Amino acid sequence: MTIEPDGGEAGEAVPLGQRFFDNWPLLMVLGVVIMLVVFTGWGLWEIASMPTATLP
Amino acid sequence: MNGYEEFHSGLEAPKGVWWKPAHKSEKIWFGIAFAWCMVLFAMMPLWHWKGGQNPSGIRSKVDPAAFTARVNEFTATYKVGEDRGMPIVEPPPGSDVYLLGRMWSWTPVLKLKQGVEYTLHISSADVNHGFSLYPVNVNFQIVPGYDYALRVTPSEAGDFRVICNEFCGVGHHLMLGRVIVTDREGREVNRRDPMPGVPQ
Amino acid sequence: MSHTIPRPAAPPAEAPVLERWKSRICPSTGFRIDRHADGLIKANAVVATVMLLIGGISAILILLTRWQAVHLLSPVWFYRILTVHGMTMLIFFILFFEMAVLYFAAGPLLNSRIVAPKTAWSAFGLMVLGAALTELMMWTGKADVLMTSYIPLRADPMYYLGIIMFAVGALIVVGIFFGTITVARREKTFTGSLPLVVYGAATAAIIAFITLLHGAATYIPAYLWSLGLIRYDPQVYRMLWWALGHSSQQINVAAMVALWYLLGALTVGSVVLNEKISRSAFVLYILFISLASAHHLLVDPGFGPAWKVVNTSYFMYMAVLASMLHGFTVPAGIELGQRLRGINQGLFGWVKRAPWGDPGFSSLALSVIVFGFVGGITGVTLGTEQINILAHNTLRIPGHFHATVVSGTAMAFMGITYYVIPLIFRKKVAFYRLAQWQPYLFGIGMLIFSIFMTFAGGFGVPRRHYDTTFSNAPFDLQFSPAVDMVTAVMAIGGLIAAVGGGIYILVTVWSVFFGESLEGVDVTTLRTGVPQGLIRPPRKLVPADTAAIQERGWLGITPGTMVLVLIFLAAFALYYFTNWKQLAAVWKIG
Repeated sequence: MTIEPDGGEAGEAVPLGQRFFDNWPLLMVLGVVIMLVVFTGWGLWEIASMPTATLP
Repeated sequence: MNGYEEFHSGLEAPKGVWWKPAHKSEKIWFGIAFAWCMVLFAMMPLWHWKGGQNPSGIRSKVDPAAFTARVNEFTATYKVGEDRGMPIVEPPPGSDVYLLGRMWSWTPVLKLKQGVEYTLHISSADVNHGFSLYPVNVNFQIVPGYDYALRVTPSEAGDFRVICNEFCGVGHHLMLGRVIVTDREGREVNRRDPMPGVPQ
Repeated sequence: MSHTIPRPAAPPAEAPVLERWKSRICPSTGFRIDRHADGLIKANAVVATVMLLIGGISAILILLTRWQAVHLLSPVWFYRILTVHGMTMLIFFILFFEMAVLYFAAGPLLNSRIVAPKTAWSAFGLMVLGAALTELMMWTGKADVLMTSYIPLRADPMYYLGIIMFAVGALIVVGIFFGTITVARREKTFTGSLPLVVYGAATAAIIAFITLLHGAATYIPAYLWSLGLIRYDPQVYRMLWWALGHSSQQINVAAMVALWYLLGALTVGSVVLNEKISRSAFVLYILFISLASAHHLLVDPGFGPAWKVVNTSYFMYMAVLASMLHGFTVPAGIELGQRLRGINQGLFGWVKRAPWGDPGFSSLALSVIVFGFVGGITGVTLGTEQINILAHNTLRIPGHFHATVVSGTAMAFMGITYYVIPLIFRKKVAFYRLAQWQPYLFGIGMLIFSIFMTFAGGFGVPRRHYDTTFSNAPFDLQFSPAVDMVTAVMAIGGLIAAVGGGIYILVTVWSVFFGESLEGVDVTTLRTGVPQGLIRPPRKLVPADTAAIQERGWLGITPGTMVLVLIFLAAFALYYFTNWKQLAAVWKIG
């Protein structure tokens, strides 16, 4: 899916930042990926990699 | 014309390039807010390094049945008395100590010594419970299948309670345990600190 | 160049695609309102109000039980009603209202039709069915597991199924929202970037997508587990559940901030100081705010300190930075809007001469203040890894979130309702004098409630607890006598808020079903019965005077706001470090 920049009149160069902010699909993908990696993925790994108690 | 001609409301779709430098006051506030956020962030690693209260503990998986068996063994070994049918257990100072949460009790009653570091293992035999030490007001989540071992140093002698503060079924509000801390000479004191510092 | 907000241009008549759907032009705002958008907004708002009523009645019952002097319910019914209250308010009421906000943002605000209206109505039906099934399970005692339903506590499988149906419906609405803004752009019903309010709604929708993804990961396995088909680790459940349970409240934050910008524009003609700054704040929400789901897992055995610190801080407090930016730009927009229209006296003339009798404005102001000063400050403090040791599962937690989600989000929702009734339902606001009082009763009642609930939590009083006198427990436990006083004041605050909530329901239901119609009425000729912002629309009435705007040194062009946010920062720092000091005083533990 190609993303049309929202703003910008003909001939006017739209700054990269504005194009990034207008690109909601990209923001959505980033939001999902950050959450899945930093919170969910890392969290699952934390739980899975935990050792079994020795109960001294 | 003083440069403020382009204000519009949030209902209007901005046209053309709106990626423009912020006003001075916004920049100032951004700077202050950013600096404050860095302070907030720095405090947590700092407290791990210098502070005395952290929730890290020694964390491991445990079979609830194995944990229950260990608690029973621990209780049988160090039992010194009973309180309303509940065993009172006085482990050697500095040892590994066990506390089991189950619907709807904390067992056993622990007798610890002031100023000594114990490794307190807490787990659950059934559902989630909440370990809330009263009136110290420290709180930990107790999840079945996990041994949460906290190195804890009682800094005051007294008679403490363990409230369950995670909903664990219809008898949840009856679940109350007891921790006794003897003073440095090993004497029980009857003082009950009425309130810790009044918090917010 | 004109500085008043132009009416959006009516869509060009020659565009045939616009003729395929029935719509009307709103006489007050000039927005084109699609028939389906109209219906979907109304339907979702009405169901949300029903949910608010159920949740409100349950709130009163809980309150009268926790108030130990009254202690109304039995234990079984206390926990049952508490389950109902949490689910109905935090999930059903809030999300139905947010669905209405999404339709409003994508439809009328962009002059657009709603794509796939049949699917939209099916999604609505699915959400209603799911919610009804879940309610049935809760009320019949088949799901006494509280809102969080931490396994291995087990509810009837139908309970989980109801939530799954509701969530699928909500997910479809998120899809329709993005479909609609895509189509609106293609059909050129607006040009340029999305309006800031819609951008905020899009932020809410993206967070909703993240939330619902985790909702599916939580409840579908829980459903299978309840049928005995799979095993489910309690710690994994807690992690996934909070990615739903906390992130869903972040949908609220984004939607609420979008409504702040909207209410500001409608009530006092507030402006956007700088699109880049305001949008940056929304982008930071999208990227980082969901990580704060870790706030509930800080004293769990499942995770190490690195995971806790990175997640609880929303990746170095980037989402807090965002909220602090909104906390500046929203009042600054109001201040500048007022100054542009000649209310330019001193530092706070714009506060003094604000339309405090407009329930839309008073709701906005109370929402911003209580959310920021109480909800925001306590939230960040309690969400600090180590400070959470003092607060986890005590009454400080509900004390915090009643200041955010109730005094903040619900308050903003109530404020916008006073505009939705005339604009969408085309009715006068019934009992207008009462409606003017409503935000104050609700806001101040809720403020008392959350502050005193927080106090009680500071004494170690647990949340979700039937009997804090421990009368039948094996040991005695006597909280300080101060706790009785604190919980009594909390209960009184709650009852004041309940009166405010009751008035809200009375006003909205009466207006919608028995209210005086506004069809063919020019609202600008009215004296009362609709909010002032519609009778004398500030953005049309007074031409903006940019000559009045002056830089005042480092205080900038919005000096009043600068002073306010510095007071806020001081309060924040004071509360934050007081908590560290308290923490340092307890037993060494780690």
